[in-house]
Amino acid sequence: MLVSFNLVMALAAVPAAHLARRVGPGRAAAVGLAVFAGAGLACAASDQLSTLIAARCVQAVGGALAVTAVLELLPATVGSERRAAALWATAGATGAALGPAIGGLLTELVSWQSIFLVQVPIAIAAAVPILAVARHEAATGVLSTELRQTGRPHFLANLALALVSAAIAGALFLLVLLLIEGWRLSPIGAAIVVSVMPLAALLGSRLDRLVPSARARAAAGAILVSGGLGGLALLPRAEVALTVPPQVMIGIGLALVLSALTETALSGRAPQAIHGGWTISARHAGVVIGILAVTPIFTHDIAQQRHDAIDAGTAVILDSKVPPLLKLDLAQKIESHLAGEKGKVPTIGPAFEPLPSDPEEHDQVVELREELQDQLNRGATHAFSPSFGLAALIGLLSLIPIGLARRVEL
Amino acid sequence: MNAERRSLLLVGGAIISAMLLVGIYLAAGGASYTPEKTQDPCKHRAWRNPEGLQQIAEQFTLSALDGAACQLGVSRETLARALATPESRERFKKRYDISDAKLAKAVRAGLLRAVDDAEEAGALSPILAAPLRETLRSIPLDQAIELINNAESLLDNVEGFLGPAQSFLEQLLP
Repeated sequence: MLVSFNLVMALAAVPAAHLARRVGPGRAAAVGLAVFAGAGLACAASDQLSTLIAARCVQAVGGALAVTAVLELLPATVGSERRAAALWATAGATGAALGPAIGGLLTELVSWQSIFLVQVPIAIAAAVPILAVARHEAATGVLSTELRQTGRPHFLANLALALVSAAIAGALFLLVLLLIEGWRLSPIGAAIVVSVMPLAALLGSRLDRLVPSARARAAAGAILVSGGLGGLALLPRAEVALTVPPQVMIGIGLALVLSALTETALSGRAPQAIHGGWTISARHAGVVIGILAVTPIFTHDIAQQRHDAIDAGTAVILDSKVPPLLKLDLAQKIESHLAGEKGKVPTIGPAFEPLPSDPEEHDQVVELREELQDQLNRGATHAFSPSFGLAALIGLLSLIPIGLARRVEL
Repeated sequence: MNAERRSLLLVGGAIISAMLLVGIYLAAGGASYTPEKTQDPCKHRAWRNPEGLQQIAEQFTLSALDGAACQLGVSRETLARALATPESRERFKKRYDISDAKLAKAVRAGLLRAVDDAEEAGALSPILAAPLRETLRSIPLDQAIELINNAESLLDNVEGFLGPAQSFLEQLLP
C-alpha cells in the first residue's frame, strides 16, 4: 500500500503539474483537494485491501495535483518564488517526518480508518481559501499565473532528492517496524518514540536561516541522515533511549537536505509547479526505491535472526543448571509458545508462566527467561542492521550529485 | 561569522557528529550485539562431571541430540525444539524435508554417539558400552520411528527419550 501510493505520486506529479498549469492552479488545487478528501473517505470505508490500495492510488493523484498547484499559488501569498519554494520545501520535510508519528497515534488511539478520516476536514480547510482563486479563474478565464516556457529539470538536485528520500524512507519505515515488530512496542509507544524525528526536524529547519548555502545544507543534511542511519545499524542494546541520538541526527538532517535540494531544484526555474512536480516525483520515486531495496533484506534477516536467537536461547536452557525435567518442560512450553507467535519476534515471558514455587528454581527460571529474552532482543535488533546500513549507504550516495551540482552550475 | 565559514562549520559539525555517533555505538558493542552462536553439533562437547543416573541421562540426551543434529545438518537446539511435541516434529520434518526413516536413522546415530561420549566421560564402563551399542545398532528402523512416535516427546522426559536404552543404562551403570 505504501509503495502503490508513492509510486502513483511519483508518476502523477509532473503530469499533474502540467494539468494545473493548463486549467489554472486554483481550480487544479481545489479539484485535487476534493479528490484527495473523497479518496480518503473511500480509504476509511474500505473493507478489503484491494479497494484500500485503489483508493490510496486515487488519493495520490489528487494529492499530486493539489501539492503541485499550490506551489504555483504560493508566491502571490508569500511575496516571492524563493520564499514560496523554501516554505513549500519545509512543509514537505516536516510532513515526511511527522507522518509516522501521527499515523501511529491515530491508529492506537482511534483506529486505522481515522488516519484517512482526519485528512478530510484538513483538505476541506485547505480548499476554502483556494476556492476564491478558483472562482476568480472561472469567472475571468485568466490564469492567476502567467504561462511560461518550462526549463529542464535540475537533474542532479532531483537525483540527490531521490537518493536521500530512499534513505529517509528506510529510516522511518524500518524504525517503526523495529519498534513494533522487533521490540514489541505498541503503535502508540512507537509513535511517541519516532516523534523525536519531527521535533528534531523543526530544529533543523531553523538552521536554514543561519546557513544560506543550499549546497552546504544539503551536504550536511545527507551526512547527518546517513550518520543517524549508521547509528541505528549499530545499536548496542535493544533500548529505546539509544534510538534518540540517531533520530535527532536524522530529523535535523532531513529538514536540511530536503529543503536545500528542493530549493536548488526550483531555484531560477520556471514554472515552479512543473519543477515542483519533478521534486515530488523524485522524492516519491526515492521512497519506492528505498522501501523496495530494504524490504527483502530485512524480511530475510528477521526470519534468520529470529531462528538464531531462539537457537541461542534454547542453548542457554539446555546448558543451564535447572533440573532436567524442569528444563524439558520449559523447552516444550517455549516451542508451543513460538508456534502460536506465527513467525513474529516473540515476547517470551508468557512461556515461562507459571513460575516454579521453589525459590531456587524460581530464580533460575527467571534468570533463564531474561537470558532468552536478551537473545531474542539481540536477534530482533540485529535483523534490521543490514537494512539500516544499506539506507545509510544510499544516503551517502546522494553526496555525489550534491557535490557535482556545484561544478555543473559553475 | 561570514556565510562561508558557517557553511564549513555546518558540514564539519555534521561529519564530526556522524563519526562520533557511529564510533560511540561501535565502541559500546553495536557490531557484536547479535544472538550468541550455537556450537556445531558435529564438534565434541565435553560432559560436565555427571553424577547419578539423572544427570548421566541428561548428558546422554544432549549428546544424542548433538549426534542426531549433526547427521541431519541442523543445530542441536533446533532438533531439541523439533522433538518437543508431535506437532513440532511434523513441522520440522516438513520444513527440512526429512522423512521418518531419515529422522530415525539420525536419532539412532545420535544414541550411539551418546554411548561413545558416556564412555569417554567415564560414566559408562567400556565393557558395558559394547553391548549397549549392539542393542542400539540392532534397533530396526521402524522401532526407531516407534521410539520417536510413541514418546509424546523425545524431550518430554528422560525415560521417554532413552526408551530401550534407559533399561540398559539402569542395568549397566555402576
